[in-house]
Amino acid sequence: MLFNSIEYLIFLPIVFILYWLLNNNYKNQNILLLISSYIFYGWWDYRFLSLIVFSSFLDYFVGMKIEEAISENRKKRWLLVSLCSNLGLLGVFKYYNFFADSFASSMSVLGWEVNDLTLNIILPVGISFYTFQTLSYSIDIYRGQIKASRDIIGFFTFVSLFPQLVAGPIERASNLIPQIENKRKLDTNLIKTGIFQIFIGLLRKVAIADNLGVYVDSVYANYDIHNGSTLLVATIFYAFQIYFDFSGYSDIAIGSAKLFGFNFNRNFNFPYFSKTLTEFWRRWHMSLSFWLRDYLYISLGGNRKGIIITYRNLLLTMLIGGLWHGSSWNFVIWGGIHGLFLSFEKFTFSALKIKTFNAFGYIYTFIIVLIAWIFFRAADFSSASKIILEIFSFNYDSLFIGDINSFVNALLLLSIGVLIDLKVFKSNVPLENYGTRYSTLKLSVIVSVVIIMLCLFYSSTENFIYFQF
Amino acid sequence: MNSEITKKFLKIIVLILLISYGLDKLVFYSLNKISDKVMTGQAIGKLNHFLSIKDSAEVLVFGNSRANRHIDVKLFNNNSYNMGIDGIGIAYNSTLINTLSKTKKQLVLVHIDTKNLFDADYDGSDIRGLKAKYNRNLTITKALDESGQLSVLQKFYYSISYNGNAIGILKNYFKPSYDYIAYDGYDPITVSNDQKSMRDAFLSNYRDQVECKENHKINEIALGYLKSIAIFVKKNPNKRFIFITSPIFNDDCSVDNKILADKMLDLGLNYKDFSNLYKNNSDNSLWKDATHMSQKGAESFSKLLLEKYAHLLF
Repeated sequence: MLFNSIEYLIFLPIVFILYWLLNNNYKNQNILLLISSYIFYGWWDYRFLSLIVFSSFLDYFVGMKIEEAISENRKKRWLLVSLCSNLGLLGVFKYYNFFADSFASSMSVLGWEVNDLTLNIILPVGISFYTFQTLSYSIDIYRGQIKASRDIIGFFTFVSLFPQLVAGPIERASNLIPQIENKRKLDTNLIKTGIFQIFIGLLRKVAIADNLGVYVDSVYANYDIHNGSTLLVATIFYAFQIYFDFSGYSDIAIGSAKLFGFNFNRNFNFPYFSKTLTEFWRRWHMSLSFWLRDYLYISLGGNRKGIIITYRNLLLTMLIGGLWHGSSWNFVIWGGIHGLFLSFEKFTFSALKIKTFNAFGYIYTFIIVLIAWIFFRAADFSSASKIILEIFSFNYDSLFIGDINSFVNALLLLSIGVLIDLKVFKSNVPLENYGTRYSTLKLSVIVSVVIIMLCLFYSSTENFIYFQF
Repeated sequence: MNSEITKKFLKIIVLILLISYGLDKLVFYSLNKISDKVMTGQAIGKLNHFLSIKDSAEVLVFGNSRANRHIDVKLFNNNSYNMGIDGIGIAYNSTLINTLSKTKKQLVLVHIDTKNLFDADYDGSDIRGLKAKYNRNLTITKALDESGQLSVLQKFYYSISYNGNAIGILKNYFKPSYDYIAYDGYDPITVSNDQKSMRDAFLSNYRDQVECKENHKINEIALGYLKSIAIFVKKNPNKRFIFITSPIFNDDCSVDNKILADKMLDLGLNYKDFSNLYKNNSDNSLWKDATHMSQKGAESFSKLLLEKYAHLLF
């Protein structure tokens, strides 16, 4: 079920009403949330529910075993069970074909022809997100940072809670499980901020991102016939499309969760207002970047083992972070570009003894992010390279506009999106709390204006970009 | 959730519904007022222009971009209009044909694209291009309701009718794209010198491509709309209808053409397939690309149409 569908418009109020009717018993609310979450997920493909159930059961059981283990060795062994099973599932469903194909290609380069090893595998929606969520649970118990859950319904709800099930934010057990295992309250602030964020999210996704996507798709589908200026504008549009698409999704997720009394962590914090790439990664897809920092970068040694190892760890973390997004070398390159420039910044800051760049840093960061997005969006390495070469040939002829209506709509909505971001950014109040600034009447007027904008500008694209990951 | 919070929550929801409903009607009726005066632009202007002259024009052309670019309707009669629109299919055309006056004697030329009729994925969604006239034109409203293509929210939020078009309407209201009084709906394509070499390279590769799928089947939705036109044709003896498929660069597959011709015969429609008219002509200047003819090709084709069908003019 998609957040931007009529089904969700019906589903959300029904679950909301039933949920608060069960207000006197949070355990019954959890049962309702679990059933609702499975319906939400099964709407897409009920067969893959078995994977979520398996993953939930495994980590529930392993979590207790890690906690009960008397020796460090036993703890480690149980942790390995969780790591191997979760990553094994992810490997089979997400990466098997990629590695099989890469293996066959490399053998072919060496002169050995290998039969087609790829399988007809469907990628289960959200597997990368809930796998990382369950993994962090086991690792946190192993590190002694949290206690294992003894409430099986509560734990299953933690893994599958519908607002964050298919595309995050990747919630930590330390934040979410205590909320699930206690009575929730709904107050005026949660209602206001929740409703505000849901509608801002819809505006970002359905109006802004989807309208930008129309132009981006038409240019990238025929990149070879377009000139540098067109490819540059399409890439800038894509940078904002993916931002508004994913941050919009996160807004709807966080806003929906608030209506059930849950506080999710922030996932985006105006990433394009960053002076360094390091800062960008503190603002972009924060639940993933902090996950990679805490469970991968630090596990590899972080910056505690000398400068060379630090650079290696940074690069490795970003390469794996890239691969997490999808089974393609383009994502690896995307991660590699970020890793290289993060290392460059670390080196520069330490050599020049500075903490950040000056105002030019905004431009530097945006350019690096933009170049990396080309690999993220292009179909393969060859097309990404051609697009970069064309853009940097600086042979800027007249811009391809395509359908003038779509182009003007995209430009107008992009301006509105940027202006909203600027206003919220300048206020120093996180978007997550912004709804509290308004009276009930003012909030209703703002939401109504957003609804009319959605009516006038919604685009018919159905999926969220991050669903493919 | 205690009763105070419940009240607060309900208050917000009720306020949002009331304000958004009111705002929606304000926007909708304002856009109605503005859009009624817009006569230029493909989205609304051309439709408004058509609705204003449809019962007085002597010759009308319906179809997609190929009809729009290929048929110089002025050759037939000065009082004529080409209602070809980019990207639309038979659902849109069938609905507009059904809006025509029963009494007016007219020659109606309908461009049928085999690609549209045999497309298994065709769902009739092109009819949404008429949603700006929902609740404002009886025939169009009925067709849209029957199509199931409208969002259920449209019953509550009328401004969805202007989805994607609002800016275009405002732009054409304040700055019309052309002089609509002199416009007959025909938009020929000129090919610039820069485009010529690209076209030639593209067409030379295209020459070898043969696409002929087995088991050709006319899309049921498209067939339904075709039948609706056939019923209109039978009920309107005051009009003369010609159904044509205009030339295409390389149509090596004749199976679909044959099935379509048979179906048109079954339905009692006067159909002529010109797909392969220029098949043996190696002059690339007749073309803009593999689907659309250039102005030169269109003018030559329009003259041929006139020669063939001049006797049907009233």
